[in-house]
Amino acid sequence: MRYVDEYRDAELGRALAAEILSTVEPGRHYKVMEVCGGHTHTIYKYGVDDLLPESVELVHGPGCPVCVIPMGRVDDAIAVAMHDGVIFTCFGDMMRVPGGEGTLLDAKASGADIRMVYSPLDALRIARENPERQVVFFAVGFETTAPSTALTLMRAKAEGMRNFTVFCNHVTIVPPLKALLESPDLRLDGFVGPGHVATVVGARPFEFIPSQYGRPIVVSGFEPLDVLQGVHMILRQLAEGRCEVENQYKRVVPYDGNPQALRVLEEVFALRPHFEWRGLGFIAHSGLALNEAYADFDTEVRFDVPGVRVADPKACQCGEVLKGVIKPWECKVFGTACTPERPIGTCMVSSEGACAAYYNFGRFAREKVTVA
Amino acid sequence: MTSCDDASGHCITCSDEGIAMRVLGSGSDGLASCVDVAGRWTRVAIDLVGPVSAGDLVLAHAGVALVRLDEEALVA
Repeated sequence: MRYVDEYRDAELGRALAAEILSTVEPGRHYKVMEVCGGHTHTIYKYGVDDLLPESVELVHGPGCPVCVIPMGRVDDAIAVAMHDGVIFTCFGDMMRVPGGEGTLLDAKASGADIRMVYSPLDALRIARENPERQVVFFAVGFETTAPSTALTLMRAKAEGMRNFTVFCNHVTIVPPLKALLESPDLRLDGFVGPGHVATVVGARPFEFIPSQYGRPIVVSGFEPLDVLQGVHMILRQLAEGRCEVENQYKRVVPYDGNPQALRVLEEVFALRPHFEWRGLGFIAHSGLALNEAYADFDTEVRFDVPGVRVADPKACQCGEVLKGVIKPWECKVFGTACTPERPIGTCMVSSEGACAAYYNFGRFAREKVTVA
Repeated sequence: MTSCDDASGHCITCSDEGIAMRVLGSGSDGLASCVDVAGRWTRVAIDLVGPVSAGDLVLAHAGVALVRLDEEALVA
């Protein structure tokens, strides 16, 4: 397919792998974090890590929005969905994310009217078609997804809709990266930056990583050659003693992002003082809420949302996986009690979750088997 | 993989769900009919990229075009 095959060319991949090999310093071990779950997905789907020297270790970051939703917010969503007369809408991946009291799929089986949508605009259409019902959209995602929620809310307001609200769980990427960089148990040499978040916010917000923390970051695309080239650009910066923001994904990402998208975010949202991240705890100014001008469309204002807090299951090590402290297969329940069919942790639910990526692409048996 | 994933197994909430789409035509409701490289046809909001014409390329995510794509840069 045009625009896709160009970035999956095996010959170019081999050439890039050779360049990476010639760039690494003998005896040095490199740890590079891919921030985005989409990169994790690409790495294990195409075996990108198999092309890297053993001295280059890829560490999976917290950039899967489904994976960082705390269980209490899922329970809150279920409580709203169970209200009489509510049509609850969400993206498909959220249906199977376990809260403390089950999943949205369980709630649907119990009679709640829960519907999958591909866009918040679809949720708004459902609200138009059902004026006698209250329609709630479960908004999840980083800055890539938040503009579509914001646009939907602006349309709802312009149309004077009275039966549409948003349960807002949008998060921003910079605060968790700062939290990770402050983490004493994590040493990283560089970052593969989130390409599509950067289409909205640009590459500029990541300048604090080289300037304050002395680590290079390369905003990268999601095809296998993009990821390989992103890793190579990081290693080249390290080899040349440079430390800066580079944009591997120039074909899509303007350095300053999309000003119109930033304006709609500003129009609709306000930063929350704190927001809870699964495995990372509360992070200041990391979550978005609807601002006062959109209070009439805020599920948390219009409904009695219980504000549930649930501790993660003891057996689950999603937090350590999300911080890159352990690999998915090192989790105690990986592939046994926790599988994509019956996930315990969120990293096994989303196809972008590190655990699901390992599992789905058959890469869970990392130990080499020696045949006598 | 869930039924809401796209054909390549991506999660819609994840930013990698950004899909290059060719504009077929735009309506007066702020939506444009677009087709992706796999031939899937859908309507996306164009508020964030301004007016588009048939033949333009955009990157769409969750029903919204986020950025215009430069065709020459895509194959460079």
